[in-house]
Amino acid sequence: MNRTFLIQAMFCISFIFGMVAPGFAGEPQDQLKETTDKVLSVLADPDLKSPSKTKERRERIQKIVDERFDWEEMARRSLARHWTQRTSEEKKEFVPLFKSLLEKVYADKVEGYSWNKISYEGESIDGDYAVIKVKIFTAKDQAIRVEYRTLKKGNLWLVYDIMVEGVGLVNNYRTQFNEIIVKSSFSELIKRLRVKSAQY
Amino acid sequence: MKLSFRFFLIFTLWLITLPTPSFAEPETPLQPPIPSEWMAVSDEFSLEPLEGNLIQTSQTNLNPYGESAYTVPDSPLLIAQTKDPAEKEVEFEEQPDTIADPIEPVNRVFFHFNDRLYYWVLKPVATGYKTVVPEDLRIGVRNFFSNVTTPVRLVNCLLQANLKGAGNETLRFLLNSTFGLGGFLDPAQKEWRIEKREEDFGQTLGLWGIGPVFYIEWPFLGASSLRDTLGYTGDLFLHPQTYLISSIYISLGVRFYDVVNSTSLRIGEYEDFKRAVLDPYIAKRDAYHQHRIYKVKERK
Repeated sequence: MNRTFLIQAMFCISFIFGMVAPGFAGEPQDQLKETTDKVLSVLADPDLKSPSKTKERRERIQKIVDERFDWEEMARRSLARHWTQRTSEEKKEFVPLFKSLLEKVYADKVEGYSWNKISYEGESIDGDYAVIKVKIFTAKDQAIRVEYRTLKKGNLWLVYDIMVEGVGLVNNYRTQFNEIIVKSSFSELIKRLRVKSAQY
Repeated sequence: MKLSFRFFLIFTLWLITLPTPSFAEPETPLQPPIPSEWMAVSDEFSLEPLEGNLIQTSQTNLNPYGESAYTVPDSPLLIAQTKDPAEKEVEFEEQPDTIADPIEPVNRVFFHFNDRLYYWVLKPVATGYKTVVPEDLRIGVRNFFSNVTTPVRLVNCLLQANLKGAGNETLRFLLNSTFGLGGFLDPAQKEWRIEKREEDFGQTLGLWGIGPVFYIEWPFLGASSLRDTLGYTGDLFLHPQTYLISSIYISLGVRFYDVVNSTSLRIGEYEDFKRAVLDPYIAKRDAYHQHRIYKVKERK
C-alpha cells in the first residue's frame, strides 16, 4: 500500500516538473517586436510620407514583412485539405498570388489605422509553436487584441497566422477558399485571386 | 477510514497523471500498420466533421472523404506532416468550426441589402456628419451611448458569474457618469485603467452551453445567429432607452444617430474588408462566428 502510494507520488512530481518546459523566454516576441518596430519606423519616416513615395514605402514594408512571415505555410494552411490535391505547378501558381494578396492586406491595415501604442501582452511557447499576444491602441481610443501565431524554422520564429479579435486571417481565407473550390473549382479560385490582385 | 482515504489520494493522483501519455509522445513516431499516405489523408481532414457538433458544421464540410479518397498525395510533405505530432495537434486545434447556414439564399439577399445600405445611405450620411462634427466630440458621443448601456453589460457579467467584470462595470459607470461628465469622457479607462467588459446576452447563452444554431443576416442589424438574436432581444429589456423613450420614432431616431456616429469613426474599415476578401458574404459569416466564439471564451 505504502509503496504504491510512494511510486504514484513520485510519478506525479516528476510529471509536474516535466511539464515545465525549458522555454527560450522572450525569443519569439523579441523577433516579432523587431519586425514591428522596423515597420513602424518606415511608417513614421517623414521622407516617405508624401503620396509620391507610397510605392517605395510599400516595397520597404513588404521587404521587412517578408522576413517574418511564412507565406508558404500560410498558403498551405489556407487550402488545408485541398493543398494535398494540388500539383506542384498549381502550388507554384497559388503561393505567390496568395502572398501578394496578404501583403496588400497587411499594408492596407498598417497604413490605414493610426497606431497609437502597441503593448505586448505575453507569449506562450509550445515546442516549435508560439503565440504572441499584442494589444494595439488606436487613435480613436480603442484597443484591438491581436495574436500572432508563429512557427520556429531554424532560428527564426515565422508568423503563419494572425488572429484579430479572435478572427484568424488564414482561417478566414480557408473558409472562403473551401467554399469556392467545393462549389466550383481550383482554377476558379486562381481566377478570382488574379482579379483581386488586379483590383488593388 | 484511513485506508479509504489513502485510496482516494491515490485515485486523485492517478487522475492528475492521466494526461501523461500525450506529453510522453516519442520523438520518432511508431510506424503505423497502414501506409503513411492514408494517415496523411485522414490527417488533413481533421476530426472536425466527426467529432464536432453536426449542427454547427456547414453543409460543404459534411462529406470530407468524398473527393480525396482517390487522390494521390505528394509524399515528401505529407510524410513530414504525419511525423510531426505537434503539427497534428495544432492542425486539430486550429480547424475552424463553421456555422450552419440553412437559409443562405435569404441571408445573401439581406447581405446585399445591408451592403447597399452602407454605401448608399450610411456612408454618405456618416461622411457628412464627420466633416461637421470634430472627432473628439464623436468619440464623446460614442462613450456616452456606451455608458448608457452599462446595465446590459453589468447584468450579463452577473449572469456569467463574472463578479470582477460586474464590479468593473459598476465602477466605470459611477466614475464616468461623474468625473466623465455624464459618460462623454472615459476617465475610468484613461486614468484608472478599468477596462470595459463587452458582454451581452448572446455571450451569456453561449457560456451556458448554447451554440449559435445557425447564421442569420438581419436587414439593418447585420450579422447574427439564432442564439445571438435571442440574446439581442433579451438585451433590449436591459436597455434604458426601452423604458425612457416611449415614442418608437424617437427611439429609432436615437438608434440611427448612434449608428451614424459610430460609423463615422470607422469609415474605411468595411471598404478595406471588402477589398481583402474573395467572397465577402462567406468572409463576414466566418469572421462573425469566430469572433463570437472568441467573445464567449474570453473571460477576465
